[in-house]
Amino acid sequence: MGDSRSLLTDDMRACVGREFRWLTSFPIGANEIRRWAIAIHWPEEPPRRHWDDEWCAANGLGTVVAPDDFNPFAWATADPPLDRPINAMRPWPEPELGLPEPPTRANILSELTVRYGEARMRPGDVIRSTTHLAGYREREGRLGLMLYTTQEERWVNQRDEHVRTSSTTVIRYR
Amino acid sequence: MQPGDPIPPWSRRGSFLTWSRYAAVNDEFALHHMDDDVARHEGFAAAFAMAPLTFSYVQNMLRTWVGDRGRVESVEIRLRSPFLRGRTLTASGVVTSVSTDGDGRHRVAADVWADDDTGARLVDGHAVILLERAHLDHR
Repeated sequence: MGDSRSLLTDDMRACVGREFRWLTSFPIGANEIRRWAIAIHWPEEPPRRHWDDEWCAANGLGTVVAPDDFNPFAWATADPPLDRPINAMRPWPEPELGLPEPPTRANILSELTVRYGEARMRPGDVIRSTTHLAGYREREGRLGLMLYTTQEERWVNQRDEHVRTSSTTVIRYR
Repeated sequence: MQPGDPIPPWSRRGSFLTWSRYAAVNDEFALHHMDDDVARHEGFAAAFAMAPLTFSYVQNMLRTWVGDRGRVESVEIRLRSPFLRGRTLTASGVVTSVSTDGDGRHRVAADVWADDDTGARLVDGHAVILLERAHLDHR
């Protein structure tokens, strides 16, 4: 018999492998890169490759480059647009798969793997992302039965060059 | 560069002033990052940093070490404990292997981690860096 506390349903299991999120960024702005670099290095000054156009031109980078972890989809995307937002975009897939969300009170990101392509993100780049549900699992944890949800996301730029592929696992619990 | 070489540590203190800057650029305003009471309700000792920011700090440690003489190929981390408000995170690592690929580039594998100032392990994982041949001996 299954665990009666289980948060997993047959409908959730049936969705494993399905794509559920497609995003296209606006062209990346140089100041978005600068603000991101300041935030992740604050209170120290970020490296010049992220903010100093003259230094980048003189050092073979051409333009400022984004930090590896830069998120071009924060706040607003070209697709979907602001007037057609994703329904309750959350770090788990059920709302976008048309499934009810498991009744949990909290969530935390537990694992993150990123593989980077050769292409670095620069001003003017347009990034496209495709996300699919990679899997569910449950295990007992310090706070009770935990639901682990893993989703995988692949980013390419406007030249279809691979930017990054990431896998994130979020834990939810009652 | 050889197995056993340390990666220079990289540190930041955890505070609302730091995390609110990250929230502002990443549109990430979950209350357990902003309010100790909410975090306690969820079972934590205090408000804690966003996991992607903790990941960024590991990235910063790697990129500070590599500079522009190579690139980060992959980073894999597991979050062991939350980075709590008021604590100081220090990310570090050690080279575990160095190999050469068919294009003459050097692939450097490393164990990476981050601890807080109480000694708690916050993050551990692995990273792979690609270096051009000319940069292998460059520190």
